[in-house]
Amino acid sequence: MNSLTLGFIPLTDCAPLVVAEAKGFFADEGLDVTLSREASWATIRDKVTVGALDAAHMLAPMALAATAGAGGPVAPMIAPLALAVNGAGVTLSNRLSQALPMGAQSLQEIAGALAAFIDQRRAGGEPPLTFAVVFPYSMHNYALRYWLAEAGVDLDRDVRLVVTPPPRMVEQLRTGQVDGVCVGAPWNAVATRGGLGRVALRTSQFWPAGPDKVLGAGAHFAEDDRLPPLLRALVQAQAWCDVAEHRDELASLLAQPNYVGAAAEAIAPAIGDELIFHRDGAGVPRLEHARWFLAQMRRWKQIGAELDADALIARVYRPDLALAALQATGLGPEALTPPGPLFDGKSFDAG
Amino acid sequence: MRVLVIDPDPARAALVAEGLDGVDPLEVRQTAQFDAAEVASFSPDIIVVACDSADRDTLESLREAGETNPRPVVMFADRSEPGLAEQAIRAGVAAYIVDGLAPARVRPILEVAMTRFSLMQQLRGDLAKAKANLESRKVVDRAKGLLMKERGLDEDAAYKLLRKLAMDTGRPIGAVATDLLAFAGVLKGDAS
Repeated sequence: MNSLTLGFIPLTDCAPLVVAEAKGFFADEGLDVTLSREASWATIRDKVTVGALDAAHMLAPMALAATAGAGGPVAPMIAPLALAVNGAGVTLSNRLSQALPMGAQSLQEIAGALAAFIDQRRAGGEPPLTFAVVFPYSMHNYALRYWLAEAGVDLDRDVRLVVTPPPRMVEQLRTGQVDGVCVGAPWNAVATRGGLGRVALRTSQFWPAGPDKVLGAGAHFAEDDRLPPLLRALVQAQAWCDVAEHRDELASLLAQPNYVGAAAEAIAPAIGDELIFHRDGAGVPRLEHARWFLAQMRRWKQIGAELDADALIARVYRPDLALAALQATGLGPEALTPPGPLFDGKSFDAG
Repeated sequence: MRVLVIDPDPARAALVAEGLDGVDPLEVRQTAQFDAAEVASFSPDIIVVACDSADRDTLESLREAGETNPRPVVMFADRSEPGLAEQAIRAGVAAYIVDGLAPARVRPILEVAMTRFSLMQQLRGDLAKAKANLESRKVVDRAKGLLMKERGLDEDAAYKLLRKLAMDTGRPIGAVATDLLAFAGVLKGDAS
């Protein structure tokens, strides 16, 4: 049997890896897979880089940033599969939600109300609000920044952005160390179920069917004989995850402490509703998504203007490999609809 | 020397303190998890953290954000992951990663880490300065070109004029050149 070690972070969208293991999709493809739960995204990136992990559950922008050498050494990677679309959200603390007018409903209205509140605090000489995201190179960081910047918030001056491990965000909302968090499922649901805040934004509203995690691997893995069976097993697991009748079983499976380690009741609601693993080409890494990520990296000065974005994307994003696995398993989409616009009606490549 | 050990297990901080015995003055503080306020108030010379700590992302983001007062971070891998440290060093992933933590190795490792860190900081500073110098030279060249064309000066005279302007106003020559170009643009109607 072919052995592989795959890393993951305790988040609902690690489901395809867990399901492929638990439901025997790996075994059916002749793979002997060890799943390794990791404590940080930095560890995931480093272990993939040095080969301690063959592939991993990874923040989509991380694969691009590592290949570009942004914020660290150059570590060429590929993203041959998207693990899911949607799933993240912004939760505001009770104190902050209560300070905002009740009428604010749409993303624009809430951001506008937030911006007005932030202005008012600054005029009163109060310290800036603190928001936590999971990593500098993440959909979470970019969505939060984009949303607030649209409402006129100056991200450098008006708010303090910190990086916090997801499970700890819930605790920090409780103690008031942070005023808001942008994090993936199930942690927004865990926070709201605990009465610790209100969800103000879901990435499914921010950018319907927008990107979040990919399967990330070292660039050399593109030529590895184990990659095609790995992708075949994962796309079958993704299709399994989307079946409505499997929702409760999947939630209970992920709830186990060696996987996500949160209540099944907090995990279940997002599955199939928010988080889509397979339907409508959710598993195909879209070049448009990568283009938006690179535009955000540029906007927030994480990369220089001189970087050749299209060349980088072509090296990292490999929809061809996902599509080959989908065709081989008979799960292929008839046609891929291009990604739609963001909540503000702007297209994906707008800065 | 002030050392902050971020680890839920106080044993590791004790081990670091043992390894640094004889360093004077020495203060080793242990904290279960990263706390920005504590780091700011304690102001450690170096931070020690396990590479399987959930705080790694936070520490890394501080470096990313170009924190005003960055600190070297030493990471160590547990023996449960043999070879990871060597591989990581070879791949350039982390400069300060060690297998396990034995008291005898603590001091040299921390000292090397701090030296390398200040070297890196200096290199980073030099690079930024070199970039700024290059930029300034380009601006000066363009300002010289403008003076040569508009005032009919040769290159040497144009440069001397710029230098005189800089000395008279007590500002860097790059800043004077930038202003000159901007004013010329306004006079031509570029920024009307």
